[in-house]
Amino acid sequence: MNYMELLGALAPEAIVVLTALVALAVDLLVLRQAPQNARQVVAVSITAVGILAAIIALSVAAPSPPWMDGLLINHSTTAFLKQTLLVLALVAGILSIQSRFTQHTGEYVTLLLLSTVGMMLLVSSDNLLLMFVALELTSLPLYVLTAFNKESPSSSEASLKYFLIGSLSAACLLFGISLLYGLSGGITWTQLATTLRAGSEPIVYLALILTLIGFAFKVAAAPFHLWAPDVYQGAPTPVAAFIASGSKIASFYMFARIFMAALPGTAGSAAWSGATPGWVPLVAALAVVSMILGNVAAIAQRSVKRLLAYSAIGHAGYALLAILSNTEQGMGSLLYYVVTYAVTAMGAFAVVNVIERDVQAPNGESLTDFAGLSRRSPLLSLCLLVFVLSLAGIPPLAGFFGKFYIFIATAQSGTSQGLIWLVMLAIGTSAISLYYYLQILKQVYVVESVGQPTPVQLRPAESACIVAMACTVLILGCAPNWLINRFSPNSTEVRRAGVITKPSTTLELAAEIHPRITAPLGTATGLVQKRPQFETTTANAQ
Amino acid sequence: MITPTLQHYLVVSGLLFCLGLLGVLARRNLLVVYMSLELMLNAANLALVAFSHFNNQLNGQVMVFFIITVAAAEVAVGLALIVAIYRKRQTAHVEDLSSLKF
Amino acid sequence: MEHDAVQHAVQSGSKIQDLAWLVLFLPLLGSVMAWFITRRDRVLTTVFTLGTVILSFILSVTLFAVFGAASAECTPFQFLHIGDLKVDIGLHLDALSTLMLLVVTGVASLVMIFSTSYMHDDASYSRFFCTLGLFVFSMLGIVLANNFVMMFVFWELVGVSSYLLIGFWFERPAAGDAAKKAFLSNRLGDFGFILGILMVWSAVGSVNFQEIQASLIKNPAAMGVWAGLAGLLVFMGAMGKSAQFPLHVWLPDAMEGPTPVSALIHAATMVAAGVYMLCRVFFIYTVPAGWPPALSFLGDLSAATVVAWIGGITALLAALTAVQQNDIKRILAYSTLSQLGYMVMAVGLGASTGNPSASMFHLFTHAFFKAMLFLGAGSVIHACHHEQDIWRMGGLWKKMPVTFWTFAIGTAALAGLPPFSGFYSKDEILATALEANPILCGLAVLVACLTTFYMCRLVLVAFFGTTRTESAEHAHESPRSMTIPLMFLAVPSVVAGWFPVGEFIAGHFGVRSHEGVGRVVAQEGIGPMLTMILGGIDHALFAPFNHNALAAFLGLFGVLLGGSAAWALYWNQARDPLPGLFTNLSRAMRKKFYFDEIYDSVFIPIHDTVACIMAWFDRWIIDGLGVRGIHGTIEIVGRALRLVQTGNLQTYAFLFAAGVAFLAFIALQ
Repeated sequence: MNYMELLGALAPEAIVVLTALVALAVDLLVLRQAPQNARQVVAVSITAVGILAAIIALSVAAPSPPWMDGLLINHSTTAFLKQTLLVLALVAGILSIQSRFTQHTGEYVTLLLLSTVGMMLLVSSDNLLLMFVALELTSLPLYVLTAFNKESPSSSEASLKYFLIGSLSAACLLFGISLLYGLSGGITWTQLATTLRAGSEPIVYLALILTLIGFAFKVAAAPFHLWAPDVYQGAPTPVAAFIASGSKIASFYMFARIFMAALPGTAGSAAWSGATPGWVPLVAALAVVSMILGNVAAIAQRSVKRLLAYSAIGHAGYALLAILSNTEQGMGSLLYYVVTYAVTAMGAFAVVNVIERDVQAPNGESLTDFAGLSRRSPLLSLCLLVFVLSLAGIPPLAGFFGKFYIFIATAQSGTSQGLIWLVMLAIGTSAISLYYYLQILKQVYVVESVGQPTPVQLRPAESACIVAMACTVLILGCAPNWLINRFSPNSTEVRRAGVITKPSTTLELAAEIHPRITAPLGTATGLVQKRPQFETTTANAQ
Repeated sequence: MITPTLQHYLVVSGLLFCLGLLGVLARRNLLVVYMSLELMLNAANLALVAFSHFNNQLNGQVMVFFIITVAAAEVAVGLALIVAIYRKRQTAHVEDLSSLKF
Repeated sequence: MEHDAVQHAVQSGSKIQDLAWLVLFLPLLGSVMAWFITRRDRVLTTVFTLGTVILSFILSVTLFAVFGAASAECTPFQFLHIGDLKVDIGLHLDALSTLMLLVVTGVASLVMIFSTSYMHDDASYSRFFCTLGLFVFSMLGIVLANNFVMMFVFWELVGVSSYLLIGFWFERPAAGDAAKKAFLSNRLGDFGFILGILMVWSAVGSVNFQEIQASLIKNPAAMGVWAGLAGLLVFMGAMGKSAQFPLHVWLPDAMEGPTPVSALIHAATMVAAGVYMLCRVFFIYTVPAGWPPALSFLGDLSAATVVAWIGGITALLAALTAVQQNDIKRILAYSTLSQLGYMVMAVGLGASTGNPSASMFHLFTHAFFKAMLFLGAGSVIHACHHEQDIWRMGGLWKKMPVTFWTFAIGTAALAGLPPFSGFYSKDEILATALEANPILCGLAVLVACLTTFYMCRLVLVAFFGTTRTESAEHAHESPRSMTIPLMFLAVPSVVAGWFPVGEFIAGHFGVRSHEGVGRVVAQEGIGPMLTMILGGIDHALFAPFNHNALAAFLGLFGVLLGGSAAWALYWNQARDPLPGLFTNLSRAMRKKFYFDEIYDSVFIPIHDTVACIMAWFDRWIIDGLGVRGIHGTIEIVGRALRLVQTGNLQTYAFLFAAGVAFLAFIALQ
């Protein structure tokens, strides 16, 4: 093992960590007495430089072989996802300039970057240990960031709720991980995939459920979504935007990876007739509840941030469909969906951020604060229109093709179209969702503002970000294939890197690479003895 | 004197986990809720160590070291949040934290 | 061999054909820039929009010169590849599309030059030019599209931009109504079109023209029982855009738009889109006829036969109607309808001979002389202070000589008098008809006769005789910017027929029956063609008499008959003598055979009744029980779900645990 090579493979993450430390040091040591605004600009500029460096490092890095049994894997898909995460972090940083929620700029930027590092590691691990550590590295800074607005009572309350529910789910996930480890004897995807099979044993399902909960919490899938509306509303808006976008991408990717690549033997089926137990029906249950609950409960919301939270729950439901399709096409559609969703959600939150600063209400913005926006700022309204229509899935915006692709992947995945009921439900709920999205647009374009409409104050960097994201959404909608091709199963790099492989091939691959992988388990007592299927695998391996 | 088997360890760990969960659900003081959460984490640690021992592998035990470290970080964050909320609201009770709802 | 050289250049990746992207997007770029940047400045707006269109005309000429009849595929841009559905955005260049590029960009440039003075005093000058640019962009998209989906997208864009242009003077209720009527008729056709596209896609498994053609050549029965229906449904699209019976009602009303719009859209380009599309997808009309079991009584009737008959009927009805119209633009509009019917008929008849080139030839010549006639009419209307009734004009020929002479050339070309261009293209149609279907040929000769009649009537009444009104008295020649495009258009109106366009297109369809320059072009490119034309003009001039003398003489006979009848009836008349001669027929003609009335009295009441029932159903069943019910339920459930979010942490934790239990329940079930 060559540590310099490892450092090379970790260079982007290392650059981001260094940037975080430099930003903190500069802010605390040099700019202590400087005005708040200057500190923010300097901190975000340092962030921008570091993030650009990391993005460049990612784009020039040659794909490296997996490190230490998949502790760290790098290929073109992870590189692209990391770049997206970095860009989203930068946008979140830019949105925070001049916001009044904190005096501690250096700490704020550092935490934002550290959380980003967590997400980057999460994207590139094939290993239970690094996955858990990265998940915690992602979450802990986000808990603190949520509480960053010390003036607002709701910020710390939201954070505490986020933290406690998050810890609860982390504990469940950890217990699930320990069971997976115990049942398989390994902590890498290949080891898990080789040994775990759906059988009569309930403890496998317990492990699956507990693992599932950990991710369901992260992606805000119902019924583990309860933190999301409170956190989106209570957290400072740039932080909420980052939770809704970056954290979603990383968690969904890991969610799909662990179930598709590590647990293919326990998939089961969610077909309308002839469902078999496994994680697929569990995910289907989550998806159904999320789609219905998210879209229905959003109708009754009065705060746009809460509304976006419920819409995020609904969107999580659609993305879960892609996961439960359990195919390469499903993985491609999932990535297209979450990346475009992340950009759209970030954009929508950016607009909300502007409005919130504009109204300065103690309880945050509400739907009526958007009244007459089209006359106050046509540009902002146009961008919001793009974001909202994309969330609603109107062609030719990116959101439409995201949904379209997921629906096709799901419909084609089940044997004899057994999953079509889920697709129909998804189409039905997305019709419902149109209702509350149009509520926002109605306020913006139809309802007159109270009193004389005054122009909204927009800063150049901020409006450039918003316009850029709106353009991205539009362009990805007009040319969806550019992004789809990056994630499509035909893309040789993805296949070579083995992002997703069919269960059987994973098995064969694992058997080739690790012929003795399960050998130590042979000595385990008790539990192991009771598993007939497991024994046959061991016998074969030996 | 019976030698403890894997099952014994797992049962204890499962009980600890359930106790922790019960504590989270039932206790009203934030600190106690938080301690219950730590209990749940340690239940998982116990299971990991047990599996590691009975599988004759070290990676489970290595994992536990990492988890303990992570848990320490979590303690720091959690306590800081509880302190922050106490300063703001002068309370550390769960039922007082419901200004964000519906 | 130059042709081979071109092919070689194409393959070696020189990619000159990618210029087509530029041709397509320049007009859009021009109008977008003009709209967003220079809207308030007329001169700059003109420079941007007109400049880009002219630039794209120059590029089209380059492409035509380089490629001629060779076909080339521009680098496609992957749009959507999901499962079996592969949609690329790609451009296809071949004889059809390069010729059409020339027509569209050329006529558009001249029309825009004309508009600079025609629209000079309009307050919405910039809006007009930007919309024209948008229209040119969408029309070029139809021409260049290499697949059905892309064509359909641009098809709709053309519909939208023509809606905007017809309703340009939206403050006039008639313009608004006409725009709506045009849009609705088009939408009706488009509905059939998209169904047809889906049918072709599901039968053949591709939307790309080349691929469909290849698989139909490999297996002509690939479409099986859907061949007939798919052909008819696709034709519905053409029926809407090219205003074929019974969806023809929108075109005469569309004359409410500014006259340059009528010239560009409703004479030269948009209405030709239907004919162009039929030629583009000609391969689906040459496959053996097939009908689903429910329609099996149609037997061997092929879609192409239906197309031919509908074209013929449209041509006849429109020509008859034109005879008794008094509005100069309406006469021209009905003559457009009639000529479009001719072209559609030629496509339908071409299916049996395997060669629809006559229709493209006629489209080509017609674009020039009809655009010129409309611009001439615009010039007349402009001079007479927006007077459009021909009986309120008269004696204009001395006052506006340029307009008169160009108009006369246009009339001669439209009537089909040799050596004007219309004669040659019409002759090819007559020859095709004579070969394929003598009844329709007779009908076509009748229409030719009527065409000459009403056009001579128009010229005799409007330009000769005594000046009948004040406004005609004060008429004087229009400004330079209006007459120059007229003169420019007059040249191709005369000579366009001498070029062997028909054979050039026939080469595209793999038909090389006629000896002549067309074949040379098809095989050896454009260079040798020019020398051959210069050396053999006399050959070109008399080609019709050489290859099918009967058809040529029939055409001439029709022209002479119509012309002399018009002369006898209308020379120096102050009032129309025809109503006195044929009272009922004339009234029917004047009332456009009561199509609008029939639609009003039959379809509107049916529609109203259905609408009433639907409204009731909608209000009480769908809205009341369905939407309100569902909406109410959802709203209530939404509110209820909201209450779950109590804000209490332990409720959350409890629900969390309940979720675990729920999942465990699902897992263990």
